[in-house]
Amino acid sequence: MITLLLTGAASAAVAAAPDAQQRNFVACPIVRDTASVPCWLAEYEGELYFLTLQTDVSAPVNPPMLGHKVLVEGRRTDKPRICGGIVLEPVRLSVVPALDANCNQLLPAEAQYNLDFEPPRPPGPSKGRLAFNTLDVQQAPVAPQRVEKQFSIGYDFDGRVGFKHPALLQPVLDYALAIKARSIDIEGHQGAALLSDGSVLSEAAHLAQQRAQQIAELLQGAGLTAPRYTVHWVDAAPAPNGTDDAPQRRVDITVRP
Amino acid sequence: MKPLLALLMALLFNGLAHGETARRWINPGENGGLAADGSYNNAQGLLGVLNAAGAVNVDGHPFFAPLGRNGRACVSCHQPQDAMSLSLESIRQQWQVTQGQDPIFAAVDGANCPHLPQQDPASHSLLLNRGLFRVFLPWPPHDAAGKRIEPEFSIEVVRDPTGCNLHPQYGLSSAQPMVSVYRRPRPAANLKYPTHQNFGVSSFIGKDGLPTARDPDTGKPTSMNLMADARAPSLRAQAADAAAVHLQRDAPLTRQQLDGIVAFESQVYIAQQNDKHAGSLIEESGPSAFGPRALLKGEAGVLGNNTSRWVFPMEGKWTALPRGNGAAADARNAARESIARGHDVYMFRTFWIRDSMHLNSVGLGNPTKRTCATCHGMHMTGMDTANGWMDIGSTNLPWARETPLNPWTTDKPELPLFKLTCRNDIAPHPFLGRVIYTQDPGRALISGRCNDIGTIVMQQLRGLSARAPYFSNGSARTLRDVVDFYDRRYNIGYSEQEKLDLVNFLGAL
Ligand code: HEC
Ligand code: HEC
Repeated sequence: MITLLLTGAASAAVAAAPDAQQRNFVACPIVRDTASVPCWLAEYEGELYFLTLQTDVSAPVNPPMLGHKVLVEGRRTDKPRICGGIVLEPVRLSVVPALDANCNQLLPAEAQYNLDFEPPRPPGPSKGRLAFNTLDVQQAPVAPQRVEKQFSIGYDFDGRVGFKHPALLQPVLDYALAIKARSIDIEGHQGAALLSDGSVLSEAAHLAQQRAQQIAELLQGAGLTAPRYTVHWVDAAPAPNGTDDAPQRRVDITVRP
Repeated sequence: MKPLLALLMALLFNGLAHGETARRWINPGENGGLAADGSYNNAQGLLGVLNAAGAVNVDGHPFFAPLGRNGRACVSCHQPQDAMSLSLESIRQQWQVTQGQDPIFAAVDGANCPHLPQQDPASHSLLLNRGLFRVFLPWPPHDAAGKRIEPEFSIEVVRDPTGCNLHPQYGLSSAQPMVSVYRRPRPAANLKYPTHQNFGVSSFIGKDGLPTARDPDTGKPTSMNLMADARAPSLRAQAADAAAVHLQRDAPLTRQQLDGIVAFESQVYIAQQNDKHAGSLIEESGPSAFGPRALLKGEAGVLGNNTSRWVFPMEGKWTALPRGNGAAADARNAARESIARGHDVYMFRTFWIRDSMHLNSVGLGNPTKRTCATCHGMHMTGMDTANGWMDIGSTNLPWARETPLNPWTTDKPELPLFKLTCRNDIAPHPFLGRVIYTQDPGRALISGRCNDIGTIVMQQLRGLSARAPYFSNGSARTLRDVVDFYDRRYNIGYSEQEKLDLVNFLGAL
């Protein structure tokens, strides 16, 4: 059974400007080919920024998509430029769901932009490993203590469940099955992003609810039907500050024995 | 078994023994046997069919017996000579030989639609021209628990050349609404690969995070790689469904029949083993990629790589082979080198893969600079390791093969065309937007998801020479057509030599 509750709304306060090193903007991504893997870049106020490289599914930062704008939330660093772009790190990239045919720049390789390091993964076969290990799902201990446990599932801006989520959902499922959970509490959140130009971008209306309900459906669909589910959501986003807006885009799950 | 009978069996279904081979159509209910090591001619050479559990006596065997109302058996559409699938060549031959009476032409799905005059070849044009059977699926779909799935899109029939999708009894507006799509059979062999429980199998689908279909008998998550739309969660479930639909069997299969079918399917291995130009593909000193024994030995459900466990292991062989041992040996060595080069094109020749759902949407970026092996990565079969449905444009417009319409042709489109409109309260399809035209909605007919429209589970890249045409909708008549499709689809710019080599390599699998 699922109980739906509305947990009350936080109020969106007036936004301040983000920190000086922060670069938050929406732009068309640009692909720059190299002698190995392509670079992903974007321009903001006349500067070119390096977003990420093509690697593989396991990368902490996955490249965006041509055909769509991307929301960039990153910190400017003094690291050597990559593919001509100022390196943003950490950086979060969220593909804007709407299609945009104007985002279609694929630049050819130029010797000056070739990588001066070995990329985590070549453009072809894998050499037998993932470039990063984030996909290694932590196995639940054989007989975990039957205690209440919290999990948090993060999202891209305006995002729903996608290819990154199996690795986050599996531990919830494993734990809940292992302790024979009696109840699961799911609380959906949504956020807003303070852009470098001072404007605020809010996630789609009702996303917190949709996120929370989807998580409940997925866990049940994966066979976790025994526990009692309570699904809440927080309908409005707290005021964004431009530096840590991303963690607001999440669903919190409490698994209880 | 008596030795004489054994000999007879060998003669019945195989020319085999010492490389002499023949094509051999197997009729449902025929007596005889299938040798442990069979081989069958095809235009490119010889297909090997290995029964790992030993010779098979087909008398009364549930895979070979007509268990339903229409005289068909599983073998009707899964013939050993055709890599346990069914080639267009065989279909046409059966039409000729039986004057359209072979049970494969049964009205239920061997005709464009059951209401058409069955003696007219035009009523079977999709089967006779493209090797396609009608697959009719209830709309809207239901989940494994029988709960109605609320689709993320609506379906309109834009074109209905078979008359089935608008038909009052069989169509979308009938009492039991159905969508009819037209699909190729798939190899019922090497099945430990499409049904593995290994890499990529988890409770949530690696491509979109949705719950993975579970095996109804074991409750375990599956690799979701059976059928063009992954609707069959297990071989048992598939066989039960095939008996009811293709064989028109009224009663459920008995447990014994199911066991017999699944046991047979699970031990039969197919792969090309001889190439008309390159000679034997399975010599001791050659690469270990080829022949059915390679499939038997291979580890199931692991990702190919380029260090220890290649997708198709060549061990660097067949490069720089000697010349000067006579014209025949030189030609054979040249053909072997071409196959090895084709392998390298498959593995290492990069191109920009673009706007392909469930590949460009899984963290590689759009576009991504990769190779054929990126999608076709499973060790030994070149499938995707799990949840292998993607949209390469084989059925979705604008890439799908369509009949050109103009004042100078009388050719008519053969396949239905659907217009799918995705709801406004979900994100648009990232590459195709909200309105998508397709010949076969593929996985979306099962999941109801906008992002799954036109996604098709890839088949094993095995026994290809024995089972043209290719792609689920039979739109590629030859392997050259397949390569040309990709060249056009992804603007690859292959050289003629690359194309030839790639075709030779695929044909040797
Ligand atoms: C009338 C022709 C026909 C008959 C008879 C038939 N099949 Fe099939 N088979 C098909 C088609 C067509 C598909 C692919 C359907 C799709 O992709 O939606 C298929 C797919 C399969 C697959 C999936 C293979 C894969 O890798 O995805 C298996 C296994 C299979 N059939 C086994 C059987 C068995 C067992 C029987 C007998 C009970 C049987 N078939 C009878 C036409 C037939
Ligand atoms: C974006 C992923 C992707 C890439 C890249 C890709 N394929 Fe495929 N391939 C698929 C899918 C999905 C199918 C099934 C399509 C269908 O049946 O409609 C398929 C089908 C095929 C088939 C038909 C198999 C059959 O039994 O009918 C062949 C052959 C093939 N691919 C070869 C290649 C080659 C060669 C390349 C490199 C030029 C390649 N593929 C690149 C995804 C891909």
